[in-house]
Amino acid sequence: MVDARLMRNGNEAGRETASRADSGDVAIAVSDATVEFGEGDDAVVALSDVSIDFLSGDFVTIIGPSGCGKSTLLRLVADLVAPSTGSVRVFGKPPEEARLAREFAFVFQDATLLPWRSALENVRLPLEVGKGRALEQEAAPKDLLRLVRLEGRENALPHELSGGMRQRVSIARALVCRPKILLMDEPFGALDEITRDNLNQELLRIWRETGTTILFVTHSIPEAAFLGRRTLVLSAHPGRVLDYFAIDLPEDRKLGIRDSVEFVEITGRLRQLLEKAA
Amino acid sequence: MNSRKSASLSRRWKERLPAFVAAAGLLLAWHLLVVLLEIPEFIAPGPLDVAATFAERGSILWNNFWPTFFEAVAGFALGNSVAIALAVIFVHSRIAERAFYPIAVFINTIPILAIAPILVLLLGNGYAPKIVIAALICFFPTLVNMVRGLNAISPQLGELMRVLSASDREILFKVRLQASLPYLFAALKIASTTCVIGAIVGEWIGSNYGLGSLIIEATYNFRSPLLYATVFLGAGMAVSFFTITSLVERLVLRWPTAAQ
Repeated sequence: MVDARLMRNGNEAGRETASRADSGDVAIAVSDATVEFGEGDDAVVALSDVSIDFLSGDFVTIIGPSGCGKSTLLRLVADLVAPSTGSVRVFGKPPEEARLAREFAFVFQDATLLPWRSALENVRLPLEVGKGRALEQEAAPKDLLRLVRLEGRENALPHELSGGMRQRVSIARALVCRPKILLMDEPFGALDEITRDNLNQELLRIWRETGTTILFVTHSIPEAAFLGRRTLVLSAHPGRVLDYFAIDLPEDRKLGIRDSVEFVEITGRLRQLLEKAA
Repeated sequence: MNSRKSASLSRRWKERLPAFVAAAGLLLAWHLLVVLLEIPEFIAPGPLDVAATFAERGSILWNNFWPTFFEAVAGFALGNSVAIALAVIFVHSRIAERAFYPIAVFINTIPILAIAPILVLLLGNGYAPKIVIAALICFFPTLVNMVRGLNAISPQLGELMRVLSASDREILFKVRLQASLPYLFAALKIASTTCVIGAIVGEWIGSNYGLGSLIIEATYNFRSPLLYATVFLGAGMAVSFFTITSLVERLVLRWPTAAQ
C-alpha cells in the first residue's frame, strides 16, 4: 500500500525513478531533511531524515500527532525554516529562489489579513511587495474574490467579515500571483464545522479550476481523507514519514461521500496509523 | 433616518449631562465658599472675578496665549517627529537601539525643571528653549509607544511578508507604520497635554511673554483673578489639543484595535 516510488528511504529508489514513475512531474523534492531547533542539550528534532516527493498538480494532505513536524515540513518548503541537514528542491530550485519567483503561496491558520485594508486591498497586497515576480502571471484580485465567492464584499474591512470569509480572502490573496504550489497550514482549523465543510468543498473546486499543487496540513482525519488525493502520515518525536498513500476515492467528491463505506475504511486506516504515530 | 440621528444626538447630550452638572456644581460651591468665608480676592478670587478678568483683560490674556500656543505646537511636532524617526531606526537596527535607548531613558529621568535652565543658557531667551522643553516632554512616551507599536505585528504576519519576499522598507510602509498607529495615538494624546506644560515651564525660567510668564507676574503682584484666568486658558489649550488629537484618531483608526 505504501507508495514506495514517492517515499524514498536511503536504500530505496532514487529520485530519478521517482520522478518518472508517475505521470506528474516532481514539484517538491525533500531529501534526507532533518530540522533541529535549538542547540546542544536543548535541541529538539522536529523532522528526522525525511525524504519525500510531491507531484505537480497533486493535492496532498499531511496529518500526524502534534509535534510531528507537519508545519515544519511546510515551512521547510516555504523557506521559512532551513534544513539542518539534507536538501529541499522546489521545481529543481532551492526554496529561496522559488520564494523569490513566487512559485508558492502560504495560507496560515489565522487569515493574517491587514485590518486596515479592505478585502480587495488585502488580495492585492502580494502585487505591491517583493521583487522578481513575473508580472504577467498575476490574476485580477476582483476575479479571485469571485472565485472564493466574495463578490460584493470587495470593500469590506476584515472585522466586518466572518471567520470563514476572512479565510476565503486569505486564499484569494494566496492565489493572486498564480502560484504553482499552495502551502496550507491548518487553514480551517479555527473554523466551526459547518463553515469548514463548506470551505473544504470550495477548496476542491478551486483546486480543480486552478490546477495548483496543494500541500494541506490538518489535524482532522475526515478532512485529510476528504481533501487529499494522497495523504502523508507523519509520526512524532522525532517527525518521520510513517505512510504516504493514494486515497482511492472519485475525483469529484461531494460531502455525502463521507458516509460511504470506502471513506470510513480510509478514515479507519488513518486512525490506526495515528495511534501508532503518537 | 433623521429622527434616528437626532435621537442619538440627544442620547449623547444625556451622556454628557452629568459632567456639565458636576462642573456647574463645583463652580457654585467655589463661589459660595469664597463669599461665605469672606476670602479676600488676592488669596482666592471667586469664579465671577475670574470671568470678569476674561472680559476686562482679554487682550493681555490672548497676547500671551499665542506665543505659548506656538511653542506647544512646535514642541509637539518636533518631539514627536524625532521620537517616531528614532523608533523607526531602533526597530531596524538592534545596535542603534542598544546604544541610544539607555541614553533616552537617562534624559527622561532628569526633571524637566532641571533641564530648563540649561537650555535657556544654551539657546537664549527666545522661542527656542521653550520649544525644546515642550519637545523633550513629548519625546519619551512617544518613543516607547512607537517602538512597541512598530513591533506589534503577529509572527504569522511576519512569515507572510517573508514568503512574499517583502523588503524591510515595504514591511515598514505596508505593515509596521499602520500597525503602530493605535500605540502612536495613545502617546500623542499624552503629548497633546504635556506639550502645553512644557511650554509654560519653559516660560517660567526666563521669559517676558507667554502664559508661563504671565503666571509668574500675576503671582508676584497678587493679581489672583488674572492668575486664575491664565491657568484656565492654559488648561483650555491642553484640552483642545487633546480633543483634536482624539478626533484625528477616530478619523484615522477605522478598524478595531487592541490598544484602544
